[in-house]
Amino acid sequence: MVRWLTVLLVASAIFVAGCFAENSWRLVRTSIPEMGRKQIEPTLGQGVLLGILGGLRTVIADGTWLRSYVAWEKRDRAACEGLMRTACALDPRARYFWENTGYVMGYDMAHWEIRRRGGYAKVSQEIQDGLFKSYARKGLEIFEDGAKHTGGNPGILISAGQMAEIKLKDNLLAASYYKRATESANAPWFSYFLCARSLWEGGQKKESYAWYRKQWLEKLKGVGDSSPDDLEHLRYMEAELSLPVLQRIPRQTWEK
Amino acid sequence: MRNLIKQSLRRTAWIARITFLEAIRQRFFAFLILLSAALVVSSVSFRFLDFGHGELKFVADFGFGGVFFFGSILTLVMTAQLFFAEIENRTALTLLAKPVSRWEFLAGKFTGVWAVLGIFIFTLTFILGLVMWGRHQELVALAEAAGRVPPDLSISGVAAYALLQWLRLGVIAAMVLAISSVARSFLFAIVVGAMAVLAGQLQWIAQETLLKDKDLGVVYQSFLWLITRVIPNLQQFNIGDALALDVSSVTNGAVWAASLSGCIYIIVLLVLAGLGFRRREI
Repeated sequence: MVRWLTVLLVASAIFVAGCFAENSWRLVRTSIPEMGRKQIEPTLGQGVLLGILGGLRTVIADGTWLRSYVAWEKRDRAACEGLMRTACALDPRARYFWENTGYVMGYDMAHWEIRRRGGYAKVSQEIQDGLFKSYARKGLEIFEDGAKHTGGNPGILISAGQMAEIKLKDNLLAASYYKRATESANAPWFSYFLCARSLWEGGQKKESYAWYRKQWLEKLKGVGDSSPDDLEHLRYMEAELSLPVLQRIPRQTWEK
Repeated sequence: MRNLIKQSLRRTAWIARITFLEAIRQRFFAFLILLSAALVVSSVSFRFLDFGHGELKFVADFGFGGVFFFGSILTLVMTAQLFFAEIENRTALTLLAKPVSRWEFLAGKFTGVWAVLGIFIFTLTFILGLVMWGRHQELVALAEAAGRVPPDLSISGVAAYALLQWLRLGVIAAMVLAISSVARSFLFAIVVGAMAVLAGQLQWIAQETLLKDKDLGVVYQSFLWLITRVIPNLQQFNIGDALALDVSSVTNGAVWAASLSGCIYIIVLLVLAGLGFRRREI
């Protein structure tokens, strides 16, 4: 009886300790990069256990990234993707890994696939376009994941916008990425123009002008030298839209 | 009563002192502390291998990783070795024949080992703190010259990390003692201890991946839920880079909660070790 009571007491003590640990883990969890099933599965077999165990995550992520370059040189799509995704999973807060993985997936891999199928002369243009688009979509998925893990890094969002523009020829999708980049705290000055240009080229000329004008009046005008380049672009849009003088942005004292 | 406690504490401290002296003279300890110190000092030289992180993050991760890895090996081997050496050399028999209880013996062993681990952790963290502080000063000067925002470094965060790692190693030492108290051989204790450490370090992954999976059945999820409360979560002590380089990302009270959790684990595991050792034939 006493023996069973002791076992029960010890089991309860371990359980209570576990519950305390759970409470502490909830507080600590926010400081550790997220790692879900989606991130772990592609990393299996890449020898990254030590990185997941704790410590050395950055170092192992760097080593994995170096190994991925060997696969990149050999045009080994599966190995390259696996290793690059592993580096991203190990250090999900580094912009560098997400951005370059997205670039490799979206820009390089379609070319590898075309060469593997016999080269540009053998593969029809239609299939080539299909491959470019399918890999670009994969690249965009990587950028999306990267933006999520880095708290909406504007560099990653601008890269996504460029890919949507260049590879998918989808100006409106590109504009949506650029717009997200402008909404981040450290948005680069040129992201506003990129967004307005994509909307404009996507056929939404009036919306583009209205949005760009709003941004210039509310944000860009008050920054540094009042963003004269952006005002110049806005003047071009006003002329193209043949806006009456009263609907245009009032002439600035410093304007040429 | 007070006198009895005082005498018991004196006997425990005496065993701890002997254990400490025995452990600190071990070549294995000297080898690992030198190896880890070399790794920590050389971390700055390896920074060219870094891609896209802050330079200090790389240095910190390199150093913390070394402390974590070699600290775990040292704890596993040293705790089991010191425990089994007493039994195999029959010194435990002599000791326990005197008015020394088995609880005092275990508590003394643990305290001695933990003190040596404290020297290991605090020496290495001090060296790492110096290396990081030196590089931080250079980076601040470079950033100021280039008009950029200098990187952050919290020395108190490095100290908090040292405390958490010391507690983590304490939990591992208590875990190995609990296993050793029932194990028949040194090798068995080491292997099972290493597996327990691995499970403790990886149990958060099980929480992240399996417990959130809605496809799993209720029975399996309940079993996993129970397992995650029984196996100590050792990952909760690994927030060194956040503490040193990005204190704002650490939730208020996280260090205290992790410390309290570590202390509770140590006490519970030592009680478990004591119960296992109570009936053991020596």
